[in-house]
Amino acid sequence: MSAALAEAAAAEIWRKFLCRACGLIYDEELGDPDSGLAPGTRFEDIPDDWECPICGVKKTDFEPYNAREAPPVLSLPVLRHAKPGVVVVGAGVAGWAVAEAVRALSPSTPIMLVTGCTGEVYNKPELSVALARGRTPASLCREAGAAIAGRLGVRLLTDTIAVGISKARRELRTTRGTIAYSHLVLAHGARPASLPSLPASLCWSINHLAAWSGLYKQLADGTKRIAIVGAGMVGCELAEDFARAGHRVTLLDREVAPLAGLLPEPASARVERGLGALGVRFVGQVMVAGVVAGADGGKHITTACGQAFDVDIVVAATGLVTESRLARNAGLAFNQGVAVDPVTLRTSASHIYALGDCISLGGRPCRFIEPIAKQAETIARDILELGHDGYSHAQPVIRLKTKSAPVMLQGVPHPEASWRTIRDDATALVMEQWRGDQLTSRLSV
Amino acid sequence: MTVASALQAPPEHQWDDASVIEQVTAIAQGPLRAAVTQIDHDGHYPREIMAALGEAGALGVHLNRYGGKLGLSIAAMQAASRVCGSTGFLMWSHDVCGIYLEQSANPALTGAVLDNHARAKTLGGTALSNPMKALSGIEPMLFRARKVPGGYRVNGSLPWVSHIGPGQYCGAVAAVERDDGTVSHEILFILHCDERVELRACPQFSGMEGTATWGVRLVDYFVSEADLVADPARPLIARIRGAFILLQTGMALGVAQGSIDSILEVEPMLGHVNQFLSERPDELRGELDELSGRIMALAQTPYDGSRDYLLDVLDARVQGAEFALRAAQSALLHQGARGYLMTSAPQRRIRESHFVAIVTPAIKHLRWEMARLSREELPA
Repeated sequence: MSAALAEAAAAEIWRKFLCRACGLIYDEELGDPDSGLAPGTRFEDIPDDWECPICGVKKTDFEPYNAREAPPVLSLPVLRHAKPGVVVVGAGVAGWAVAEAVRALSPSTPIMLVTGCTGEVYNKPELSVALARGRTPASLCREAGAAIAGRLGVRLLTDTIAVGISKARRELRTTRGTIAYSHLVLAHGARPASLPSLPASLCWSINHLAAWSGLYKQLADGTKRIAIVGAGMVGCELAEDFARAGHRVTLLDREVAPLAGLLPEPASARVERGLGALGVRFVGQVMVAGVVAGADGGKHITTACGQAFDVDIVVAATGLVTESRLARNAGLAFNQGVAVDPVTLRTSASHIYALGDCISLGGRPCRFIEPIAKQAETIARDILELGHDGYSHAQPVIRLKTKSAPVMLQGVPHPEASWRTIRDDATALVMEQWRGDQLTSRLSV
Repeated sequence: MTVASALQAPPEHQWDDASVIEQVTAIAQGPLRAAVTQIDHDGHYPREIMAALGEAGALGVHLNRYGGKLGLSIAAMQAASRVCGSTGFLMWSHDVCGIYLEQSANPALTGAVLDNHARAKTLGGTALSNPMKALSGIEPMLFRARKVPGGYRVNGSLPWVSHIGPGQYCGAVAAVERDDGTVSHEILFILHCDERVELRACPQFSGMEGTATWGVRLVDYFVSEADLVADPARPLIARIRGAFILLQTGMALGVAQGSIDSILEVEPMLGHVNQFLSERPDELRGELDELSGRIMALAQTPYDGSRDYLLDVLDARVQGAEFALRAAQSALLHQGARGYLMTSAPQRRIRESHFVAIVTPAIKHLRWEMARLSREELPA
């Protein structure tokens, strides 16, 4: 008898063993009288020719059984036969906005939110300015999902993926079961465009709090060399934020200057100068060909033109795409996003709506916070048949949170149209685009 | 496409779509219907039915050498499962074993061996339930292998493997151990149920009798290189996973369609009261058509390895299982006491639909896998 066994026997600690084949548990305390093992028979004392009473495998196919840790308890159990109500896919700003709008108009309509994350509420635009402001994952989280769900009387299903839709049965299939709805609202957002040259295992994409929190941890211990790939709005904002927090930032882009796809040359040059004053090194006209992990934990970036950059952290800011799978699964019209009616925000299927980052209006996605509240209000009124004037889309004013060169852009600039310089001095640059006698776009830096 | 599968079968082996379905339907509605109680109650293993289905092409048309018509294969399985779920399951087991052989690119497995298998002149199934769960991280791998000259030596026990018996074979997976007992990789091989293999009778199941299901125990079983399907196994398993799972939907569609048949059968007598039930036949019919349309579209590209494709397959498989459960339940409610008789089809289909829901990958396993596939990867 081994020392451990002797000790166990002395203390009458009974152990359990799991049949790897069928899952039967042999409990030493209970034995298995049906197959001739008296209660108290130690596993070691079971004859070698003994067979699992269920499936017949031998003792050697048993392993010590240690109960697994129970999975985290969902914030609320799924009610399979709950009265169908409004089911919302996504618990970002858009998802919660719909839940709030429906609840404000109807105290009794059942609402369920299905989300692949934890459902905590935070302000996504803040992620690109959080570091310099000394924010932490905890301080960015405004309210826990369970708390807001309790406050609104909403059932919140966290860590649950929406995988399919049966339009005829009005059912949403999820990884936690199938849920009936009277109305379905898609608010699942968009996700970072994945590029083979920027593997997700090596490159951060800051599109939600969980990713930001992961990056936050890696930035916690001292100055890092950071490469940001993509000098669009998010890339420029992150570059400034990281630089202000003391990191050494290199900003890479295909274009000749930051934001060159959006702004005319004099404006983007000001942005570049502003970032440069903070220590951000901009490298334009490069295409990243690949990123590999270095032996020292660093990352090695190569470009199509043969340049190389060695950094500690790579951040991809190469734009967002809306995943089409769920919409296609349900046969919903999809064009750069879930296609919705611009007035009612209904999708091509009855009883299914969409809003926020996942939609497209006339083939154009619109990924800004500002219109979401109005979209949510429209959807809530349409669902509850309360009558409404309809959603009317207006291009939101773009405000770039780069303090080094704050950009404000109104209207929709036409990439081919020329810009008139209204003011250009040491403190400001103001430019406008006109079509005929109509002002179509105005920017200031 | 492998070299072997590029070699097309001779013209006399080509099966025409319409005649495959016509013959399978005739077999299902004739001899299979006559044998179904014997299969379900007495555990009769319908070799003769499988032979006829093989001759008709039902067990070969999904293979690339016979045109890679996975949709036709699913439709054939549906036609048989509509009458007998056990037979549908045997067809699936046989079909995936054919895929292992063909995808092996092993000359010893892809010639006459594959042709005989495709025509069901020889019978063989699959022992991948445990490996599929093991590779998903749900449970440990039960077969363990050690490298020896000329092949591997395998030990371990599997509690239940179907569509096997003395003289038959199945695809199986073993984890290869290094000298220190750690696992280096896995192998997929053809396991011959000869005198070296101990086959043990299984306890009685609630349904799916007649599927020749045995416990398998291997003691120092030698796998020669001629019987290796894939070494390492994971790339091949990843390649065929979509087809493996999608084919199972044939069982779900068939059990559901048989359930609709049972509802319609009593409509003349019971329609006046059955109208108060939910899950009425028109509703079920609509869902059957919608789901089978999606499955047939997915069957066009069974080796599309993309994440989205796999999610669509897993979702269709879950929906099929849930649909079969609901349809079978509804058929029993529609038939009332008739359906509650031990020999009635609705009563049997309740048990068959339970099987569709729990056979690997079970509903819970499918959802686990969809959640895993959907998780966004973040840098370490």
